[in-house]
Amino acid sequence: MPSPIPRPDDPAAVLRSSPLPRAGAPTVLKIVIAGGFGAGKTTAVSAVSEITPLSTEEYLTEASTDVDSLAGIEAKQTTTVAFDFGRLSLPDAPTPLELFLFGTPGQDRFVDLWYDLSRGAVGAVVLVDTRRLKSSFTPISFFEDIGLPFVVAVNQFDGAHRYHPEQVRTALELPASVPVVTCDARDPNHVAGVLLTLVDHAVNNATTSRARHAPSTTLQDA
Amino acid sequence: MTTHGRAAEESAFVRTYTLTRGRTKPRHLLGLETVLEAGLGRPGPAQAEECEEILALCRERRRSVVELAGRLGRPVTAVKVLVSDLLDADALVVPLTQSYADTGAGSGPSTQLLAALSAGLKRKWPDAVAYPQAG
Repeated sequence: MPSPIPRPDDPAAVLRSSPLPRAGAPTVLKIVIAGGFGAGKTTAVSAVSEITPLSTEEYLTEASTDVDSLAGIEAKQTTTVAFDFGRLSLPDAPTPLELFLFGTPGQDRFVDLWYDLSRGAVGAVVLVDTRRLKSSFTPISFFEDIGLPFVVAVNQFDGAHRYHPEQVRTALELPASVPVVTCDARDPNHVAGVLLTLVDHAVNNATTSRARHAPSTTLQDA
Repeated sequence: MTTHGRAAEESAFVRTYTLTRGRTKPRHLLGLETVLEAGLGRPGPAQAEECEEILALCRERRRSVVELAGRLGRPVTAVKVLVSDLLDADALVVPLTQSYADTGAGSGPSTQLLAALSAGLKRKWPDAVAYPQAG
């Protein structure tokens, strides 16, 4: 895995570079939903999003000669990556909030995009299809490396063998601190439960890392 | 991907940069989740049709860069270039929020915001259950 390199396009600069901002908008928070092809990312986003998930494209410049086993395209300068975007508003939260959800593909040639999506995020959900466990390794090691809190959610597909979350934890070599849960990505209550698990985990992370090394940040911890 | 697919992708790439008049870098630092509102200014003459679409969408409600790109079916970078033009013309503004951007790069949202998010999710889905913390 590449090590986290500080990126020049820091969104914190947005407010400085833009004309007169206006007050009163809800606070935007974001959560990344990562997983291999067909793990149910779009389904999970659509279960809780207020809009039909939008497929958004971005160009990535890649120097890599890696061949994506799905598309089978040779190395080239620019590639297109599509990711899902969904949003939901939480007007009844103590502060008005809007939550952005990003469903992102699991191949490591998309790491540049993951940096963008992860910066300032609440955390990530790694959605796992137990029939294709291997495709979860890349996102898991990425989030571990950058120190972003994440949970692993096993999407229980109809007809797939039901593994116990602890079996999945062992197979993925996850430390005990990472929550592993099962869900049905089609069910809004399940997906909301996974998001809640992630938020609780992020709170715990923030509390323990603050207690351990006072003003450091999660990135430096990694 | 087939030869045809690649040709289609290349022609989409060319179309995109015709749209931005060859520009590949937005003038403003915009994140994917930067939210935009319609402002009082008017876009300059000879803007791409997409600029009108962006303004129409932002007049309905605040929209993020990523949502605009998704709705226009255009790559994020191209949309950032157009949004920069509209920001320069004050046709769009960035509303002031206390979003993650305030906390600085690299650090996540504050624990207060996380607690608010947790409460908001529970109110919206009272039947959702957070799984007990492992370990």
